[in-house]
Amino acid sequence: MLLEIKDLFKWVNSGGNRIFLLNDIELTINEGDFISIMGPSGSGKTTLLNIIGMLDDFNEGEYNFLNEPVHTLKEKYRANLYKEYIGFVFQSYHLIDELTVYENIETPLLYKNYKSSERKSLVADMLDRFNIVGKKDLFPSQLSGGQQQIVGIARALISNPKLILADEPTGNLNSKQGEEIMNLFKELNDEGVTIIQVTHSEKNATYGSKIINLLDGRVV
Amino acid sequence: MIRNYFKIAIRNLWKHKAFSFINIFGLSVGMTACFLIFLYVNFELSYDNFHLKEDRIYRVVADIKTPTETINGNGPSWAVPPHISDFPEVSATVRVLSDVILFKKDNLTFNETESLWADADFFTVFDYKLLKGNPLTVLKEPFSIVLSESSAKKYFGDDDPIGQVIQITDDAFPSTVTGIMEDIPVNSQIQGDVVISMTTITKKFAEGVDNQWGNYGPFAYLLLKPGTNVEGLESKFPAFLEKWSGKEMNKTQMFPTLMLEPLKDVYLKSDRGGFVTGNIKNVYVFSIVAMLILLIACINFVNLTTARSSERAKEVGIRKVVGAAKFQLARQFIGESVLISLIAFLLTLIVSSLLLPSFNQLAGKTISQGIFDTPLYTLLLFLTAIGIGLLAGIYPALILSSFKPTTVLKGRFSTGTKGSFLRKSLVISQFTISIALIIGTIVVYSQMSYMGNLDLGFKKDQILVVDTNSDKNRDILKQAISDLSNIKNVSLSSSVPGTGNPSAYSEIENIKGDLQVANLDLYFVDFDYISLFDIQLVAGRPFSREFKTDNTQAMVLNEAAVKMFGYSSPEQAIGKRFKQWGREGKIIGVIKDFHFQSLKNPIKPLSMRIEADRHDYLSINVPSSNLASTIVTVEKEWKKIIPNKPFSYYFLDEFFSRQYKSEEQFGKLFLNFALLAIFLSCLGLLGLASYTTMQRTKEIGIRKVMGASVSSILNLLSRDFLKLVVISFFVATPVSWYFMQKWLMDFAYRTNIGWWVFVVAGVIAILIALITVSFQALKAAIANPIKSLKTE
Repeated sequence: MLLEIKDLFKWVNSGGNRIFLLNDIELTINEGDFISIMGPSGSGKTTLLNIIGMLDDFNEGEYNFLNEPVHTLKEKYRANLYKEYIGFVFQSYHLIDELTVYENIETPLLYKNYKSSERKSLVADMLDRFNIVGKKDLFPSQLSGGQQQIVGIARALISNPKLILADEPTGNLNSKQGEEIMNLFKELNDEGVTIIQVTHSEKNATYGSKIINLLDGRVV
Repeated sequence: MIRNYFKIAIRNLWKHKAFSFINIFGLSVGMTACFLIFLYVNFELSYDNFHLKEDRIYRVVADIKTPTETINGNGPSWAVPPHISDFPEVSATVRVLSDVILFKKDNLTFNETESLWADADFFTVFDYKLLKGNPLTVLKEPFSIVLSESSAKKYFGDDDPIGQVIQITDDAFPSTVTGIMEDIPVNSQIQGDVVISMTTITKKFAEGVDNQWGNYGPFAYLLLKPGTNVEGLESKFPAFLEKWSGKEMNKTQMFPTLMLEPLKDVYLKSDRGGFVTGNIKNVYVFSIVAMLILLIACINFVNLTTARSSERAKEVGIRKVVGAAKFQLARQFIGESVLISLIAFLLTLIVSSLLLPSFNQLAGKTISQGIFDTPLYTLLLFLTAIGIGLLAGIYPALILSSFKPTTVLKGRFSTGTKGSFLRKSLVISQFTISIALIIGTIVVYSQMSYMGNLDLGFKKDQILVVDTNSDKNRDILKQAISDLSNIKNVSLSSSVPGTGNPSAYSEIENIKGDLQVANLDLYFVDFDYISLFDIQLVAGRPFSREFKTDNTQAMVLNEAAVKMFGYSSPEQAIGKRFKQWGREGKIIGVIKDFHFQSLKNPIKPLSMRIEADRHDYLSINVPSSNLASTIVTVEKEWKKIIPNKPFSYYFLDEFFSRQYKSEEQFGKLFLNFALLAIFLSCLGLLGLASYTTMQRTKEIGIRKVMGASVSSILNLLSRDFLKLVVISFFVATPVSWYFMQKWLMDFAYRTNIGWWVFVVAGVIAILIALITVSFQALKAAIANPIKSLKTE
């Protein structure tokens, strides 16, 4: 078991009313799963993903990641945990515009205090793996959307995470590029990486092994 | 990691060239101003610190109480220094007198304007370095001369001057060169190119002067023994004076108080005059101004960086997601601001070294040959730059590094009102400083123009003044020049307005018929003086050749003097008796008060007499046309009649306003700094305006779609900034009014700070701010709304 969520609630107070963003979520995810979270806009998909990624807090419930109780951990340990095991992929790629492809992929390693030589070889492997060696000195603005997303995935993978969280990874791509990215995820999943994606597309959801449907913060 | 930060920083700077320019340029301008002022202040504070015994050297000054007033800032009587040596606390005394002396060697003649007479201990008390000669004996014998290195070169070239003879004074006394000294450093309160032994005066020219207690002489310096209680010593002086000169003081009604001023305070803090004087007030004012300018530059930096934080928000979010800790991000942003300040540091070095020559000119002296002369200062500047980078970087860094990734990555992120209060307060402080400096500048300049336009009570235009150095042929010269065809009027006198004049122990018959003792300022003039200077007569008659007695027995007073002796109308004073400097006679006329001294001082009681022996200045009323050729003809006459002295002249109006040189300099510096402050503030405003405008693009787009006109959007965008400037105006007005009122107190004749000064300053500030802001606002207002909304 990779992670487990029990009785999780998240709400905001608005004008005296409590609005539930997530309402009594139960979830267990095992290593090697490929989960798709679906649901209409505002159903809480991204919020759930952010909570799983430890970027966001919740109000009630339990969250255990690799048997560590996330809800009781201090900020610093939590950061170490997700730094170690989780990689993020975003709809709008979120590459740093001022850095080249090579440097963008290298960034996570900087915050883990890898030595320069180690970084070099890890980034080189990654560039090789995704066939983007020739683009390593380009800036994000010089790449197509699909290529940028590949860089985004490479960056998520560089620190060898157990879990990849992808928030509509193909949302900004055309269908052909989208297909490429989904195939990439499939391959990664076959290699043993756990993937949780948020998607609107039924077709993309079929790449996964399991679908979780959300409506108004509840699993349906 | 550092390399990654560095790369990001450089690329960011490059990508946002305008912002980087504003930041770096603004910071380096501020730092340059600050650095130059630092050099100036440091130089002012360095005066006389090269004397090893500085702590033990004191200057003796005498404030003299007369029946009518207290005259501050005289040297003590000639007799005081030789006798004061009897105190066990005193280990040496030196009198130093500056003079203008004619030097002649073979066919070389120079009027040495910076000559000094000094007692024998000059080179043992002070640390002016002797290159040749024995410091104990060089100034011992009469007619001994010590030359500075450069004047030695002037007279002797590469020959050895020691033992050579130079003729000094108009009477060409042969004198021997006994020593060569290094040129006296600029930061010395005593300045001179040549030093002549004081014994020349005390033993030859004016024998017995060492025992004259009523004859006030040059400033004297004492070297005290280590551990001397200065106040204790000062308290013994009254008894000392009483013992030696009690009778003399009662006779002349002049009662001196002797005081000791620490040498290190004389230049900046003493108001008793001296060879070269500084002003501690200026040092304070400029230090404060420098700090304020640097503050403005730093505020720009903080404001622009925080305002731009939304731009960096995405990067912060990503970095946090991929594992950056808060402190790592803070370090990165602080690093960036240090980088900017270091680039500004390099720029400051370049700009300062380029500006240094003109700054030296502005300051009126060479405060520094080159900025790298003292590596310590460069190091200090470097550390300051790093300090500024750290300080200015901390706040933006804290803001930036505390962004939550879930918020900033969600989509468009707006800094909104976060930190806007701080930004507003910072803008207000910038404009408060700027407006205050503008008001200061206007007041300084209106005072200057007030003084320039005030009727001084005498004719100051078209008067050429020639300094004859009291040459014995001056009367022949006067005759020769008055014979020239195009000269209207010529007059010889001891003083012209602005030169300074002696004051004399006088006894004048007052309204009660008693001879009242007073200390009167004194002009020695000739028969043509009053008419040449067009001084108005209010009673009696001017000096006239028709009255033989006018040569010795006539006096003219001004209205101030008449009032002092109790006469309610000037006519009453006519025919009254006077005694002054060994002459006695009658008052023949009363003249209207005229400003014979700087407008800083009220018009003092003045007496005029004719005494041909005391004449020095030749005033010539020249026609306005063919000025150049007139000067040439005058010079020709001079060369014929006084061939051995250089011809030097000036125009009276220029000379008179030279008294305000330090005020003028002050005004110029003030103007420059005010301009700088407003420029920097606007630079910051420009950046801030363009940024908020950029942030409100969407709002502007929506408003335009709803039908807002260009002018209403201009109004919307400018209003916020104008509000800040208006607030600044109300803060700056009372503060600057208070300080400028204080500054004006130095002038006896001063302009009023009218309400218009504040209006003008306010309008200038608002206009400049408006232009700055609307430049950006207009761009946003006329843009097509479809474009701005599409990018959302």
